[in-house]
Amino acid sequence: MDFNLTKEQADIQKAAREFARGEFDPDRILEWDRNQEFPVSIWKRACDLGFQGVHFPESYGGQGLELLDHALIIETFCRQDSGIGLAMALSDFGAEMVLAQGTDEQKRKVLPFTAQGKGLMTLAFLEEGYDLLTFQTISHKNGNGYVIQGKKSYVTLAGMAQHVLVVCQAESNGPEEQSIFLLTKDAKGIEQAGMGDRLGMRMIPMQAVSFHRVAVTGQDLVGQEGKGSSYLREFLNTARVEAGAAGVGIAQGAFDRALDYARKREQFGKAIITFDPIKNKLADMVTRVEMARGLVYRAATCLDQKRPEDRWTLLAKMTASKAALEVANDAIQIHGGYGYMTEGQVEHFYRDAKTLDLFMESGSIEKSMLADQIAGRV
Amino acid sequence: MEILNYTEDHMKFRERVRSFFEQEVTPHVDEWEKSGITPKSIWKRMGQEGFLCTSVPREYGGMGADFLYSLILSEELVQTSHTGLAAPLHNDIVVPYITSFGSEELKKKYLPLCVSGDMISAIAMTEPNAGSDLASIQTTAEEDGNDVVINGQKTFISNGINCDLLIIAARDPSTSDAYSGMDLYVVEAGTKGFEKSKKLSKMGWQSQDTAELTFTDCRVPKGNRLGTKGCGFLMLMEKLQQERLLCCIIAVAGAERMLRDTLRACGEKVDFGKPITKLHNNRFKIVEMAAEVRLGRVFLDKLVADHMEGKSIVVDVSMAKFWTTEMAMRVADQCLELHGSYGYCEDNPMVRAWRDMRVLAIFAGTNEIMKGIAVKFMNL
Repeated sequence: MDFNLTKEQADIQKAAREFARGEFDPDRILEWDRNQEFPVSIWKRACDLGFQGVHFPESYGGQGLELLDHALIIETFCRQDSGIGLAMALSDFGAEMVLAQGTDEQKRKVLPFTAQGKGLMTLAFLEEGYDLLTFQTISHKNGNGYVIQGKKSYVTLAGMAQHVLVVCQAESNGPEEQSIFLLTKDAKGIEQAGMGDRLGMRMIPMQAVSFHRVAVTGQDLVGQEGKGSSYLREFLNTARVEAGAAGVGIAQGAFDRALDYARKREQFGKAIITFDPIKNKLADMVTRVEMARGLVYRAATCLDQKRPEDRWTLLAKMTASKAALEVANDAIQIHGGYGYMTEGQVEHFYRDAKTLDLFMESGSIEKSMLADQIAGRV
Repeated sequence: MEILNYTEDHMKFRERVRSFFEQEVTPHVDEWEKSGITPKSIWKRMGQEGFLCTSVPREYGGMGADFLYSLILSEELVQTSHTGLAAPLHNDIVVPYITSFGSEELKKKYLPLCVSGDMISAIAMTEPNAGSDLASIQTTAEEDGNDVVINGQKTFISNGINCDLLIIAARDPSTSDAYSGMDLYVVEAGTKGFEKSKKLSKMGWQSQDTAELTFTDCRVPKGNRLGTKGCGFLMLMEKLQQERLLCCIIAVAGAERMLRDTLRACGEKVDFGKPITKLHNNRFKIVEMAAEVRLGRVFLDKLVADHMEGKSIVVDVSMAKFWTTEMAMRVADQCLELHGSYGYCEDNPMVRAWRDMRVLAIFAGTNEIMKGIAVKFMNL
């Protein structure tokens, strides 16, 4: 058991750190967060420098690296800024599903496109009152093709994404049988509506997307008809690792700032880091960061070793998003009044952490999934 | 047996406040959150209705009312889903300094205007380098003939932009002792050298005009000093108790509101084929939250009763401040969690409440300072 990063992994981390430090401009960050704008310029630079899609095979525009490498980049970006890091992580949301299940043609169409900064993609799966088992968006069979009817909510970057994966209930099949289609955003019958302002993850605009009798062909189907739920489950394993990596980065970034502030800030004639309550808080924060990091790296390694286990990815995402929330909360407290101010930066980490915890599936839903798994094994 | 005994008059007052807020405040709250400030006209309307400074004695235009009126007003304000109209700050934190420690002349001059809403007040203690360590403030008030000349900078000042009247903590540079060198002065907005230098952008309290204030050779008459010379720090220590009690009120009333509104919303929303509130693992969480909120309420009401009887509440209010504000944050966190994805949408009123609650653990003495005070008084 080796807990150290390889030389190559450490180099990737270092390169990502240098890039993030050099290019994430604090004034622009405030603007992007305030205006709820995707940071296009940073994303393009990140793609140019090869930071996006590193875990795709070289033949599909990637570098043939592992999910852990990708996770390290997300973590490092989030450490510098939670908003940009999350935006980078979600710029190709759903790509791993195409990578795992798509045809060669689908992979060629989508993967190099996102990795090389030509455009964004998204996955439309959440619905109001959704439960992962039954969706209201339905794909009706129609001759050799299908017609999609329904509405998805909280679709990340839907307004900008060229490619949209949509998870549908397969008509006339059982409740857990779903089909997934890869559409382009200009397909006839797709309509978008804004979803208002968000608490955090504000650099990732989200829309509600309606599908009005959208006609698709069998070639747009990802994998096999009716197998969508297992693809979604497989994808969520990857997505949880990515979200977990973001959580670790947010927690680490909030901790960095708190440590720095505690060293510089003087009250009662001493740096506040010399006071026990502050020191103890910092110790709690490190504990949370390292617990989360250990679980996220482990979950990533499980997937890289082709031993996907929901247990580890659930643990990773739950622990990391909670760590992000708690550490950012402590970071605000250490900063005092300044922590509550926009310019103190940590409030931005805190809002993003809370949003991350609720994104995709809330921590409490993850916990009940884990509980079901554990109980099921008894 | 009730802990607090509300009379018919109290209940009528609550109804009047509630209906006024529903009609004249709540409909404008979103707009105020966007503009980052409340209009002075609403303060004036509050004054006209008799909702400002109810505790001020009748001879200065107030009602001479008990603290239950303050409690009622603060609780009802929580229901409006915003904090910008910081009447409790004006009514129960700032103005009491003038009522308790102002000269007859200052009381006659300012109290009626504070009651009528013609003057909005603020208090400036915190500085960029003096937060928890209040005694280390650097703002100076130097005596010069019949005047004092104020120089320095204050930050995170609530009502900072709207204020017409400011109480400022400053030190006499001729006294080396930090505690006995501190005084409080009343400064009118518009006085030469008093600049409202910057409105601050923050995570919550977005309709509140929190600001940075700068003083450059700002000259006020010596008569604007509150209390005896050198007693500034003591006055602050005395009045901070009620300020902390108000934090507890906002925390407990806020948690009650969040729980009530979340149960209402999530009782109608279906997930996994059931209302969210009926999902098994949510039900225990809701009960736990309800228990915490209830504990907070009992603690708070008892503190209010003790405070009204004139008992010393220093230790209890310090404990209550950190416990109730942290409880409110836990409840806020859980409420958003129950909402799932809708828990991060700003059109969900619980999201604003989550952002607003966070500062309660920081201002009026951070929760770490609260624990420190309790430690001292418990001789630990």
